[in-house]
Amino acid sequence: MSTRQIGISSLVFLSIYIVQESVVAQFRLPGGGFSILIIFALSWAIMSEREIAAVMGFSAGLLMDLSQNTSGPFGQWTLIMLLACYSISFLGYGDDNFFGGALGVVFSIVLGNLLVELLFLISAPLLGVSVGSFTQILFILFGTSVWTLFLTPIVLPIFARLFRTIFQAGSLA
Amino acid sequence: MSRGGQSRTRLLLVILIVTSLFLVTLDLRGVKLLDNLKQGMQNVVSPFQRTADTVFSPVKGFFSDISLLGRSGSQIEKLEKENAALKLELLERQDADVQIEQLKNILDLAGTAGYKIVNAKVISQGSYQSFAQTVMIGSGSNAGIAQNMTVLSEYGIAGIVKEVYPNSALIQLASDPAFRIGVRIVNSQQIGFLTGRGERSAVLQLLDNSTDINQGDILMSRGSIANRPFVPGVPVGYITTVDNSAGTIAQSATVRYYTDFSKLSVLAVVVGGPSTNPGDALVPQKPRPIPTPTVTVFVTPTPSPSN
Repeated sequence: MSTRQIGISSLVFLSIYIVQESVVAQFRLPGGGFSILIIFALSWAIMSEREIAAVMGFSAGLLMDLSQNTSGPFGQWTLIMLLACYSISFLGYGDDNFFGGALGVVFSIVLGNLLVELLFLISAPLLGVSVGSFTQILFILFGTSVWTLFLTPIVLPIFARLFRTIFQAGSLA
Repeated sequence: MSRGGQSRTRLLLVILIVTSLFLVTLDLRGVKLLDNLKQGMQNVVSPFQRTADTVFSPVKGFFSDISLLGRSGSQIEKLEKENAALKLELLERQDADVQIEQLKNILDLAGTAGYKIVNAKVISQGSYQSFAQTVMIGSGSNAGIAQNMTVLSEYGIAGIVKEVYPNSALIQLASDPAFRIGVRIVNSQQIGFLTGRGERSAVLQLLDNSTDINQGDILMSRGSIANRPFVPGVPVGYITTVDNSAGTIAQSATVRYYTDFSKLSVLAVVVGGPSTNPGDALVPQKPRPIPTPTVTVFVTPTPSPSN
């Protein structure tokens, strides 16, 4: 990974973060809405090698921890996103990849999103974070999964093209 | 992947995990290593939030109408453009009307109790990803807002100020699972704690187990020392169900907040508490039943014509 690629991808991550914080956060969507940053990080992680995916997850989580809207101690999202991105890349990379075709990628991102939420729920009691009533948790888990399923096919081609432009053009040069 | 590559990946993963755990540990031990960075990030994002709020304010609930655009024919297009412009104007007006109405109610509430308030517009909603309930307002320390101040909606308690920046502030809503407030019941004066649940209802736990609580009982906030984080006498909610299960240590009940957290557009931060406790001055009035007029019709049968 070249310095140019690191610089450009950091800018892309920052832009997605700003879109999430300023535009997506304007709407109180039913069912808890979605996180464009999580979808973005997971989609890039699927397309990347394991170590790059881990760094991406770490960076995305760090940005999420820097957000004022997240609860929990600083570093919790960093750890969760790191594990989620690494796992999804581990399953998706190579010739014997777990997800075949675009539909598989979409479902893997939905599952990845669910995994992220579940990791947060598991770590929350250990770190003293309150998460609300059981029905509310189920409602949010279901709602965010549906939103991710709805949104991923729309944004995935854009994210994939962006990934190819930055990483494959860089590797050919 | 080669053996060397695999071990390099493992080493990187371990380093990143250890760094994350290090950050978590530092935060839990109260070492705010990246607090300045967090504040700086909010200062960067805040202008974007303001711009997005201005841009999306009229269309926040109007996405369904976008699908109606795109029909052919110049006349239809022209009319649609005019119609869309008028709708946008009307929406902006409706949006402004809603905000004025909320602001008026907040000022009434604060005026009755003698609170000194700073009004602020909600510029962004919090994320649900971490199951937290927060909003960002467009006023901060420059307007006199400080941490741990009570935040009011038009109906009563909305939350408290969690973080403050020069031109914005993060509000922890009363529906947040980590939110706790000391309350008293209006009639019986019993005291207890209310805990958010991530939705409009909350759980009340009374300190005294001997007295009864009833459905419909109204809860008001108890004041804190120096009125922070809570000023006294703010309407909180009313009891919807009472948990009478035997063997419980503390009596508990489910409470519905007066504030509708999904419709917050203007909030007020109490920057100065009342000189005297307002007591029950802000207890919401119960709606009076409007008598339904009954109309009695007397029918006098006309004599049938005799043959």
